[in-house]
Amino acid sequence: MSDQSPGSPGPTLLDVEGVSRRFGYHTVLHDVTLRISSGDVVVLLGPNGAGKSTLLRVLAGLLRPHGGRIRREGTLGLVGHRPMLYGALTARENLQFFSRLQGINGGRADALLDAVGLVGAGDSRVRTFSQGMIKRLAIARALLNDPDLLLLDEPFSGLDDHGVDVLRGVIEQRRDTGTGVVVVTHVFGHVASLHPRTGILVGGALHGPDPGENADAVRARYRDLVLHE
Amino acid sequence: MSDLVSAALTIAAKDIRIEWRTRTAVISALVFAILVLSILYVARDATAVPALALAPSALWVTFSFAAMIGLNRAFLTENELGAMDAIRLSGVSPSALFLGKFGSNLAFVGAVEGFGIPIFVLFYDVPIGVHLPALLLVTVMTTVAFVSVGTLLSAMVVQTRFAEVMLPVLLLPFLIPPVVAAVHLTAVLLGGRPLSAGLGWLKLLAAFDVAFVTLSTLLFEATLSE
Amino acid sequence: MMTRAEALRLASRATVVVAICVVGVAAIFVRALVFTPIERAQGPAQKIFYVHVPSAWVALMAFSITGLLSIGYLWLKDRRLDTAAAASAEVGVVFSVILLITGPIWGKAVWGTWWQWEARLTSTLFLFLLFVGYLLLRGTIIDHDMRARFSAVIGILGMVLVPFIHMTVYLFRTIHPQPVVLKPSGPTLPGSMLITLLSSFGVFTVLYLAMVTARYALATLEDLKERELHHVA
Repeated sequence: MSDQSPGSPGPTLLDVEGVSRRFGYHTVLHDVTLRISSGDVVVLLGPNGAGKSTLLRVLAGLLRPHGGRIRREGTLGLVGHRPMLYGALTARENLQFFSRLQGINGGRADALLDAVGLVGAGDSRVRTFSQGMIKRLAIARALLNDPDLLLLDEPFSGLDDHGVDVLRGVIEQRRDTGTGVVVVTHVFGHVASLHPRTGILVGGALHGPDPGENADAVRARYRDLVLHE
Repeated sequence: MSDLVSAALTIAAKDIRIEWRTRTAVISALVFAILVLSILYVARDATAVPALALAPSALWVTFSFAAMIGLNRAFLTENELGAMDAIRLSGVSPSALFLGKFGSNLAFVGAVEGFGIPIFVLFYDVPIGVHLPALLLVTVMTTVAFVSVGTLLSAMVVQTRFAEVMLPVLLLPFLIPPVVAAVHLTAVLLGGRPLSAGLGWLKLLAAFDVAFVTLSTLLFEATLSE
Repeated sequence: MMTRAEALRLASRATVVVAICVVGVAAIFVRALVFTPIERAQGPAQKIFYVHVPSAWVALMAFSITGLLSIGYLWLKDRRLDTAAAASAEVGVVFSVILLITGPIWGKAVWGTWWQWEARLTSTLFLFLLFVGYLLLRGTIIDHDMRARFSAVIGILGMVLVPFIHMTVYLFRTIHPQPVVLKPSGPTLPGSMLITLLSSFGVFTVLYLAMVTARYALATLEDLKERELHHVA
C-alpha cells in the first residue's frame, strides 16, 4: 500500500506511524500510518463513527496517541468539528484575539476575512452568523499563522455553492504555496478536481491513501471497503 | 516570562470584554448578593442578634455564593463553540491560560465585591472608615483564595455532566479555611481592633493563598484533555 | 495488570484479613469496656475514644495516601495508582462516617448535645464531604483517563487542604478535648489505657490496609470485565 504519490515532492510535514487511540477500552483508531508532504492534498473518507474527527485531532496534537508515534514539522492550522470561536465576539475580534495569542500581527485579520468572503460581516458577532459563515470564519482562523499543514474536518458542510468554490480556491492556493492539506469529507465531489490522494477510514483502520485516482475509482474502493467490513 | 504575562492578559481581556457586552452575569451576581445580605439582616431576631455580630458572616456567605456564580460561567465561553481547542493549538502555555482565567474571574468577583461592600456597610451600619484598607486587604486575599481553586475546579467540571452541581460540592471544603479566616478578621476590624489582633488568621490566609495559587497553576495542565 | 485469577485470590485473602480485623476490633471493644479503667472526668462514655481516635487516624491516613497516590498517578500515568487512590478514598469515607457517628455519641455523653459546631467535628465533616465529592466526580466521568486525571487533581488539592483545616481548628476556640496522645510532651495516658489505645490503632491500621486491598482487587476485576467486553487482548 503506497502512501506516497509520484508527483509529491517537498519536505515531510507530518509523519504518522502505527498510531492508535482508545476511548476507555474501545479502540477508536488502530495502527494508522500516513505521511503528508509539502504540497500534498490528502482526503479522508469514511462512514460516520469511523474515527475521522478523532484522527484529525490526534494529527493536530490535541489528543495524544496511545500507541505509535507522530512527527510534525512546521506550523499547523485546524478547522475542527466545532467552530473553535467565541460567539460573543465579532469576526474581526475573534481573529485579532487568536492573532495576539500566537504573537501574530493583527493586521492579517482583514486580509483573511476578505479571502473567505466575510469582509462585510467583520463587525458582526459570531453568534449572529449562519452555519456557512461560521465555517468560513473558522477557516480564516486556521489560516492566521500561515500554517505549513492545514487540517480540515468537514470544511464544506454548511457552505453554499459559492462558499464551496471559495474554499476549494483557498485549498488550491495553499497547496500551490507548499502547504500540506488533509481534508475529511464525505462528499468526494467537492475535492475531486484537486486530484487528491484518498484514504478511507473504516472502523478505526486507515486504508490508503492511495495515489490520485478519479472519482469513480474512489467510489468503487469506498463501496468495497465500507460495505464489506 | 513576558510571553506568559501577555498571553494571560490577552485571555483575561477577552473574557472581560465578553462579560462587559452583556453584563448579565455580574449584575445577576450583584443582585443576588444584595438579596442575600438583606435576607440575613432581616431574618435575624433583632433583639437577640445585633447586626454587627452577624455582619462578618453575612458578608462572607454572600461573597462566597456570588463567587460561585462567577466561577460557574468561567469556561462557558470556551465550551460554547469549542474555542478551547484553538487556544491550545495557539501554543499558549497552560499556566498562561490558567492565570488569564484566574485574572478574569478575580475581576468578576472583584466587581461584585466592589459594589457589595458599600451596600454591606450601608445595610449593617458598619463603622468602616478607618479600617477600609485593611478590610480591602482581607477581601482581596480571601477572594484570591477561593477564585484560584474555583478556577481550577471550574475547568474540570465544565467537561463533565452535572457541572453546576459539582462545582459547589467540590469547592465548598476549600472555602473553609479562607472564609473562616475572613470572618474572624472582619470581626476584628469591625470591632475597631487593628489587623494585628488577628495575626494568626492573616498568616493562615496568606499561606493558603501561596499554596493554592501555586498548586492550581501547576495542576491546571492536568485538566486539559489529551 | 493482574490476571483475573490473581485478582480473585487477592480479594479473598484481603477479605479474610478484614474478617480477622473485625474480630480484633471486637476484642478491643471488650478490652475497652471490661479491662480498661474508667476515665474520671468523662465516665464510661469516654471509652468511645478507643474507637473514635483510631478512626480519625485511619481516615486521615486514607486521605493522605489518596493524595500521595494521586501525585504518583500524574507523574507516572499508571492507572493502577488511580485505582488504588480511589480504593483508599472509599475506605476513608467509611471511616469518616464512623467518626461522624462516634463523635456525636461521645459528644452527647460529655457535652450534652448530639452535635456541636466546633471545629474538629466540622472539619471532619468537610473532609468527608470533599471525598464524597471526589467519588461523585468519578461517577460522572466515563473516560478512564479523564477520570483518573481529575481525581488526581482533587486528591492532591484535598491532601494539601488537610493541614489548613487543622490550622483552622487550632486557631478557633474549641471545646474538643485537647490532644492527649500526640502532644509535644508525649502521651499522658496512664499505662493500661495507652495499651488499649495503641492496640486499637494497630488493628484499625491493618483493617484499613486490608479493606483497601480488597477494594483494589475488586476494582481490578471490574476493569478486567470491561476489557473483555471490548475484546482487548
